Amino acid sequence: MSNRTSTYLTNALAYIVLTAFAFIMVFPFLFMFFTSFKEPKDTFRYPPRMLPRQTLDVTVAGYDKPLPLYYVDDNGQQRQYALAESSIKIGIFAAPDKLETKYERPIKEIKPTGGFMNQKKATVNGKEEPLFDVEVDGQTIPMVKTNETIFGKFIDPASPDKTLLQNVRLSEPVEKLTAHPENYTEVVELQNMGRSLTNTTMVTLAVVLGTLLTSVIGGYAFARLQFPGRDQIFLVYLGTIMVPFVVLITPLYQLMVLIGWVDNMAALIIPWIFSAYGTFLMRQFFITIPKEIEEAALIDGASRFQILWYIFMPASTPALATLATFTFLYAWNSFFWPLVIINTGNEANHVLTLSLNVLRGRASDSPNLILAGAAISIIPPMIVFILAQRFFVESVTSSGVKG
Amino acid sequence: MTTATAARPDFVQSNPVLWLNVVAGWQAFVSLASLAGIYFIWQSPTTPYWLQVLTTIILLLAAAASGASAFFIPRRQHVGRVLSLAVNYLGFVACLIGAAQALGIFISFNDLANTFGNGLPFLFIMFLGYLVSAFGDRYEDNQPAKEKMFRQAGQLIMLVSLVIFLFAINVLSGLLALAQRYDSPMPFGLTAGVIFFAAAMWLMWQQTLAETMNANNSSTEMLNGYLFLSPNLLGFLIFFGGPLLFSFYVSFTDWDAFGTKNFVGLDNYRRIINLTIVGLASPDQRAADVFDIKVYDELTRFSILGSGYVIGAQDKLFWLSLRNTLLFVIMAVPLSVIPALLLANILNSKLPGMKIYRAIYFIPSIAAVVGIALIWQLLYNATIGYINYAILMAVTLINTVFNANLVDPQIRWLSDSRTAMLSLVIMSAWQTMGFNTVLFLAGLQNIPRDLYEAATVDGANKMQQFRFITIPMLAPTTFFVLTTTTIQAMQLFDQVFILINPPSGPNNSTLTVVLYLYQNGFQRFQQGYASAIAWVLFAGIFGLTLLQFQHQRASAYEG
Repeated sequence: MSNRTSTYLTNALAYIVLTAFAFIMVFPFLFMFFTSFKEPKDTFRYPPRMLPRQTLDVTVAGYDKPLPLYYVDDNGQQRQYALAESSIKIGIFAAPDKLETKYERPIKEIKPTGGFMNQKKATVNGKEEPLFDVEVDGQTIPMVKTNETIFGKFIDPASPDKTLLQNVRLSEPVEKLTAHPENYTEVVELQNMGRSLTNTTMVTLAVVLGTLLTSVIGGYAFARLQFPGRDQIFLVYLGTIMVPFVVLITPLYQLMVLIGWVDNMAALIIPWIFSAYGTFLMRQFFITIPKEIEEAALIDGASRFQILWYIFMPASTPALATLATFTFLYAWNSFFWPLVIINTGNEANHVLTLSLNVLRGRASDSPNLILAGAAISIIPPMIVFILAQRFFVESVTSSGVKG
Repeated sequence: MTTATAARPDFVQSNPVLWLNVVAGWQAFVSLASLAGIYFIWQSPTTPYWLQVLTTIILLLAAAASGASAFFIPRRQHVGRVLSLAVNYLGFVACLIGAAQALGIFISFNDLANTFGNGLPFLFIMFLGYLVSAFGDRYEDNQPAKEKMFRQAGQLIMLVSLVIFLFAINVLSGLLALAQRYDSPMPFGLTAGVIFFAAAMWLMWQQTLAETMNANNSSTEMLNGYLFLSPNLLGFLIFFGGPLLFSFYVSFTDWDAFGTKNFVGLDNYRRIINLTIVGLASPDQRAADVFDIKVYDELTRFSILGSGYVIGAQDKLFWLSLRNTLLFVIMAVPLSVIPALLLANILNSKLPGMKIYRAIYFIPSIAAVVGIALIWQLLYNATIGYINYAILMAVTLINTVFNANLVDPQIRWLSDSRTAMLSLVIMSAWQTMGFNTVLFLAGLQNIPRDLYEAATVDGANKMQQFRFITIPMLAPTTFFVLTTTTIQAMQLFDQVFILINPPSGPNNSTLTVVLYLYQNGFQRFQQGYASAIAWVLFAGIFGLTLLQFQHQRASAYEG
């Protein structure tokens, strides 16, 4: 194998592995997206399929309701017939001397051989079975009933006289691709999702703006101003990044009880705008800005706020965007704290994650609605991700390598 | 920047000594008022005892600092200015927060939500205005007229949409409602406090007064430092430091969140970790025969060298939750980290399209866990879910190709106690894998290229390069990824709560430590016990973090 073919094969293998993983990563989201446009009965279909489809109906003269269309086999030809009647009892008959040739006839139309009172019988496989008159090609032959089943009556929509009996379960319904965007309006009404979307947006915007504000000025103080205790306080800040939220959850709840913020959206906003991580991130960025510009401005009589606003802020767009995107995700996706602090009954104060939690129980029989709700909560961060992809990756990189 | 010097008010400039005396007098007044406040707080019978103590401490400090500054200001010692600024600033903040709380500004977020939706379109227009103004950057170098035009147009759009936004969310009627709440002495007093403290602070901050007080550059920088840090630091103390200490205290009590707390010492911790191991005469001997079943529940049995033992735990559920959590960590961390390492190595090759793959892998980690779990709940469905369908297809394929006789397992993922935890593991690994991939990729890109070139010259093949260059050079990243993923996995909650129903799972097989904490603290309201569980979990996580810090420090010295 030449070197070139080997490289080619390696690259092909790389793409296969990458694509397989990409498929796994994307598949649940595709599933969510397409299922959210399905009609409820389509979501319970087995085997499962991706695209939303709906069955087709047709209006046939003589029937007041539209009838569902099915593919039927009409003398070897595949045709689209309407299902007129679905539960017709069918007997499967065969002549006693020729059991392998079976005939299917509606039980209602078949009469016993020799009349009801005096039905003739034949011995089949050592058992006496009653005989019935079955018409085959104009001839009446006495036959035994070997089995029963239920068929549907299919009619040709073009000429309703032309009928055909066939097993409904084995017939494929005629379907077309469809989309039910009304699932979204339905779930919005069912779960008051419009309100929880507004709440989530408000909470997230407030938390992002507040975090940016406190982190920028705090980060500037840590990066550029000398004051006693600065390095010790910074060390404490660093340490607290590692404290898991669960340690805080009970005392923070108690604090909210004390100041009357339980079941109030202030509890979702105010405690979360003081971020040790954000301060740390901004500080790390600010110390990379050259000191000379700042010193020149100080000599010119600029105040510290002016320096921060006119020199540092314009230079730190990447760090600000990183912090904003991270805070956005954290605030938008948080679940545990809202679950603890907001009453389940008070839907006016629900954020999206809480709405989804309630929706899960309320709409458990309509996966299409549940996934429409999930899509409402997942799509906005995805848009933010697409717009700010660069900053996401940069921030992960900086948090990982510099620690 | 040359015109940055603000105009100084003449009345302060002309007579700094007079105004310094005014401030000194104010400080003396504050000092006396604080002492009076202590007297009143002990006269009020409704105030809880701990609040009386806390207020006394704060007011004593305020009185001392304020008195000292009244003493030092006439002596023109700079410490007087610092103390005065500190007291007035903190007084200002306290009165501001108090007034906002008394007027219900914080809790009015609920009312704001009623009208906030109306304003959203205008917020979006404001964002468009920002884009227009940022578009001016393109002409920064060659066409200043165009740059100015874009900037001004953008700023105009932003300003107009901001005003409409404020009207749309009905800020005006909110302010009117606020004015109506001035119906008791409390908000008036606090507002007066805000004004007086702010005025005293503003006076002391003036250049002429600062010079009279012998301020120098480094003292100005120090004051600026504390001022800039203060919002963050105060919020941090109120919402983090204070609760943290309180949590530690509560973990030594039997508090039920409403009644009185009794100090119970180490009882909570003892109940959590209390285990007993007893030898058994025969493997099927009843647990009641060997230990007190009023105290202990049988946890598990095992046998070493032919003799059987039984482990009893005072809080069986905690140990179960700990076992489940550790099981989750042991399975989910490798399942997330090892594929991530593989993917990162492939992505690090300079083939076209790698950025697209990287972006795709990242998507699961940005979506809400709650939404993700709802999707996976349907994928895991035993009868119509895609996962069992895929397994069936695979089984059929193997059976036809290899003529094997495999049986479709028909796994009941979420309701079988053997697979419920596995379901969580797979979903979580799926969600965190992309994030870890990007971390690894960043680490890989920091490895110098010439190391590989030198190795190639020396005749090392790809496997050897991976073994002797990539693995050791990537060690710090690997360690970081492992610890952060583990710490995250130890706090498993959201996933369980949504995916498994009821969350503790069949046979308590998905009861995690955080879930157990939640049940204790917020369903049974045993907050003292819940706090103790939190601290035990924290101790575990802290150990890991410490390990990580030491490792990073070590690798920093090596590097």
